[in-house]
Parts: sequence; C-alpha cells; structure tokens
Amino acid sequence: MAINILIVDDSGVMRSMILKTLRMTQVPLGDVHQAENGQKGLDLLDQQWVDLAIVDINMPVMNGEEMIDRMKENPEMKDIPVIVISTEGSKTRIERLEHKGAVFISKPFSAETVRNTINDILGLGGNDESQT
Amino acid sequence: MRAKLEEILSRVTIETLEKLAFMFAFPDDGEENPPTDFKVTAIVSFTGPFSGTLVITISTEVLQELAANMLGLDDGEEITEDQRFDALKETMNVICGNLLPAIAGDKVVFDIGVPEVLPAGQQVKKGAGIPDEHELSAKVSLDLDEGQCSFLLFLAGQIPDDVGSP
Repeated sequence: MAINILIVDDSGVMRSMILKTLRMTQVPLGDVHQAENGQKGLDLLDQQWVDLAIVDINMPVMNGEEMIDRMKENPEMKDIPVIVISTEGSKTRIERLEHKGAVFISKPFSAETVRNTINDILGLGGNDESQT
Repeated sequence: MRAKLEEILSRVTIETLEKLAFMFAFPDDGEENPPTDFKVTAIVSFTGPFSGTLVITISTEVLQELAANMLGLDDGEEITEDQRFDALKETMNVICGNLLPAIAGDKVVFDIGVPEVLPAGQQVKKGAGIPDEHELSAKVSLDLDEGQCSFLLFLAGQIPDDVGSP
C-alpha cells in the first residue's frame, strides 16, 4: 500500500529534507504533496486525499496548530493522522498538540525516528533496528 | 552565568550542526584561521520568561556546505541564494528552539520569531538590530573544516539562576 503524504513547512529546504528522509525510511511512498503554510495545506487537503500530514508549527499566514484545529473541525479531514515536526521545546505546548491527536517529532530528527513514528501511527509495523 | 550560557550555546550549536547538516564543529581554539572575506549574518528574536536575540555570522564557505548538506546535494550541484538563506534561517530556528529549553527548562513557553538574513554589510549591535535593553550574554565561535561561524546571544529580563538545570 503506497502512502500519500502532505508536508507543510514554510522552509523549502526543510520540506526537501523531510522528503529525502521519507525516501530513506522504506515507507512505501505514493504521492507526496507540499505546502508552505497551514492555509495552503488545508487547500491541498480539500483537493487531494492523503494518508498522513506532516506539519511544522511556526509558519506565516496560518500556523500548524491552527491548521490541526481546522482539520479536526472538518469531517473529511479529522481522521487524517498528523505528525508535527518542529523545534518546539516546551513540554506544555507539545502536550497541547498531543491532546489534539498529533504525534510530535523534534528538529533535528533522524530517519529512524521518522520511520518508526510513521509505522506506529499508520500501524505498518516493521520497526526493526536492522532496517536502518 | 556567562560561562554557563556559552557552554550551553556551544553544545546546542555543535549538536544541531551535526544532526541537521552532518557538519562537525569545534570550539574556536584561538589559532589564527585563514581569512574569510565574505560573511553572512542572520538574527532571530524570541520572547517569553525572558527575551532576546540570537545572531549568527557565518562564512560563505560554511553556508554553502550547510545548504548543500541539508539539501543532500552532491559536490558541484548549484545552490541558489534563496536556498542558502533558507538553510541558514532554518538552522537558526532549530538552534534557537533547542537552546531556550536548554537554558530555561522545558516547562516554560517561548515564542520564536521569524529568522532574518541581514543585508550584506549591515552591522548588528545594540540599537541596530538589537533592542537597547538586550545585553550581550554569550559569545561563541566555532571552527569547521570549511571555515568559521560565530554566535552572539543577547538577553533581557529575568534569567533563571539555575541556568541549564533540568
């Protein structure tokens, strides 16, 4: 099963890094869509079905937390799993995001962390150390 | 206090450069390095229990390597100025995001601003990019294979006495 993924980050370099990391994870990738802020991410979700959204927090126009809130209000989007990849260091904020159903990965991240998190969140299994 | 802040800034920066861009940096050993004529400066500000500004000055050689490594490019592949500046701003974001909980603990909340690359030749000092109330609290220089980078940390407000404690 190929996994369609949306990457939302205002940094083009970081989106490239996440995409490169995804290609290293051996997660079966389908279409990978990219957006530079939360609003554009929501616009894409209106048009494309994705299995997973990977979202930054600090972005202009609409930040990641508001994007997640809007997704949870939308019956078509509320069940899409969300991974937040951010520099956020406050446990208070991280716990708030986790209460919204998101899984948190801090920057900088490793390919193994991303792979294991995706496997866990999508129930794919295969978190075998030998795959790194 | 200043020595502790510089130890934390140095450690966080070295770890970030290694994990983010596979670059290995070492504290400046004080030896004279080859001159790097062209440098880029970027700043990021933050607010919270205390506020401040983090400034990086980086040689163009180090910035080129930083961007190439973050993008996973091979030697000789072209990188645009936008990509180099984007890589620098993202690096500043990650360093600042990891630095603040290392200083103040992970219970407190900070808002980190949007990193900004300064125009060539623009000086950074109090009253010029740095608010008057911010005091220079740490200064770190790092050596890398490709050149040097240096960091200035300006802080204002109540800095915790137990800086760096979990």
